[in-house]
Amino acid sequence: MSDLDRAIEQLRACRLIPESQVRELCYKARELLIEEGNVVSVDAPVTICGDIHGQFHDLMELFRVGGDVPDTNYLFMGDFVDRGFYSLESFLLLLCLKVRYPDRITLIRGNHESRQITTVYGFYDECIRKYGSANVWRYCCEVFDYLALGAIVLGASSELEPTSNTALSSMPIDDSELETEVLNSRGEVTMSTYRARQRSSSDASTDSRNISPPRDISAAPGQAAAPSRSGAPGTGASGDGNGSAATSRTGAVLCVHGGLSPLIDSVDKIRLIDRKQEVPHEGAMCDLLWSDPDEIEGWGLSPRGAGFLFGGDIVKQFNHLNGLSLVARAHQLVMEGYKEMFDGGIVTVWSAPNYCYRCGNVAAILELGEDASGGGTVARSNGEYGRSNGIVADNRVVSPGRRYRVFEAAAQDTRGMPAKKPVADYFL
Amino acid sequence: MATTCATVSPETKKPNSITINGFRISTQKLPILKADPIEEMTRKLGIAPPEMIFGDNYVAIEHEKGNWGINFNAFDALDLVDKTGQSMLQVAYSGEWQKSREKTHEGIKEVVKPFDWSYSTDYRGTLHPNARPFEPTTKHIPIELLKRPDPILFFDEVVLYEDELADNGITMLSCKIRVMPGRLLLLTRFFMRLDHVLIRLRDTRIYVDFATGEVIREYVSKECEYEKVRQMLAATRDDIPAFLRDPNRLSEILPLVEKRSERLVLDD
Repeated sequence: MSDLDRAIEQLRACRLIPESQVRELCYKARELLIEEGNVVSVDAPVTICGDIHGQFHDLMELFRVGGDVPDTNYLFMGDFVDRGFYSLESFLLLLCLKVRYPDRITLIRGNHESRQITTVYGFYDECIRKYGSANVWRYCCEVFDYLALGAIVLGASSELEPTSNTALSSMPIDDSELETEVLNSRGEVTMSTYRARQRSSSDASTDSRNISPPRDISAAPGQAAAPSRSGAPGTGASGDGNGSAATSRTGAVLCVHGGLSPLIDSVDKIRLIDRKQEVPHEGAMCDLLWSDPDEIEGWGLSPRGAGFLFGGDIVKQFNHLNGLSLVARAHQLVMEGYKEMFDGGIVTVWSAPNYCYRCGNVAAILELGEDASGGGTVARSNGEYGRSNGIVADNRVVSPGRRYRVFEAAAQDTRGMPAKKPVADYFL
Repeated sequence: MATTCATVSPETKKPNSITINGFRISTQKLPILKADPIEEMTRKLGIAPPEMIFGDNYVAIEHEKGNWGINFNAFDALDLVDKTGQSMLQVAYSGEWQKSREKTHEGIKEVVKPFDWSYSTDYRGTLHPNARPFEPTTKHIPIELLKRPDPILFFDEVVLYEDELADNGITMLSCKIRVMPGRLLLLTRFFMRLDHVLIRLRDTRIYVDFATGEVIREYVSKECEYEKVRQMLAATRDDIPAFLRDPNRLSEILPLVEKRSERLVLDD
């Protein structure tokens, strides 16, 4: 067993590795990350995860629900550290896995992967407490500077393979494909949505339906539930240009921690950023890690006086121009673990259950399947239907099938820490 | 969040309660609201609620005979937040941020839905619709009686809302209550620290003497510029970050802005 495997085993047990080993690990990680572009290309299948925030035991729960590395291909969208009590164990484990299985795990940077933020929100204090000096914090911050800013997922399937242990009796209607599915941590399907297969632009109409419970998960708040969504954002687009999605009818998926930037109108512009630095207070790099979608038109300034908000039209346009079908991001706490907005053009994924050990929220991870129809290696009539009629050639970009696995916080007794009950005190 | 603020278990689902000398004290702690109730609250309030909104939580004190009662809940507290943007704060690096954007702003000038996003409130509780009102008094809560180590029959700590101010500090409204054989004390504390800008503390204390039916409500507001506090501490301490996270310790050094006392006596 190599030192690295031993370190992984140790960290999985929530035990820290010696400082000298952390230094070596961070050095190796930097060597690896420096070779990655600002936007990493990742092939589906992949499981996309949001904020972790040092909740180590919940990260273990995530791996239990989503599968272990390297069996499952993971993409973590940042905010590994701060707030939880085990930022070190969480981040170092992810880093070990990255060094051990570089092609099976992708880490991108969140706004908390920064010197300034970690000194305020706990990671710095944790390093001092657990290692007795700031050395480990410094090593980790140097790694932060090398983390990619985003990722592009290619080759995702528009249709989900049905889950084997689905408890639902209703089968998909003819000519419909499974678009989204929500599973609980026991692997039981709690919700599914279907959409019509694309035939021609004239009859690829509203044929999706929801089953149990009947609500449209893609409906943005404030919008009337509108389950019809057979066309992708930017329907009618020729999907030209950067070619990233050209081979698949499913558009590519951009993953970033925060969101879009008014300075960035194409994915290629992200590639031009000089990322190897502390997260700046301004500029495109800052925006990608900090901005939020909101129910507005166009761009807006956050009432806080710094930071951008962007509306559905911005997302639609950005996706259209870049041949994307979906932006996946993290950064904001959502009670349900995930939240689709803007007709499914963007999704927030949140992977820290019972955030800060007191919010009581569930967490989610997003699985994107592999598009087997493109290669034609899997005999399946679906996806070939339209093609055989030669009609799909309009290159419409279809969003990928999305499977959300929702999970709860790890049981208290696995934490090795006392359950948090308020202790009576003689406050005044 | 690496603050020293309340850590309460979301497993506590049922309302906790105790009845003593004709007073019923109850608390409820549930997870943060889901998307749909948040939508509804946003609509009713006219502002977006804080990131962590415990909309189902409350602390209530009810006098069983006198049709008198007071409770503390997130909605009513948030309804008192300035919704116009007139008392809007700006994060520390706002100037720098906006300056750097002047050339590249691409015409983005509009501030989306301005309001007091620090969620500052001077909420002092919600009285029952027909409850007798408090009257101003010069009487204070008898601190000495509360310092006695009487047995605590009931204790709870309930967060009503919390927001990380997009990683620029913290804002939090939470309640603590302890019930002793002869009296109770409820403290509802609003604590806001906008890093490098402002620290604000607003405490509402409710004291009930079970024997006499006397109820005293005290509201104390304190605040100070962040930098002044930091300088005050810099001379004597080296654990400034921890100090700045601790409202109890900050309370001792923040200058007073306002103090109000009210009381009423409930009949048997």
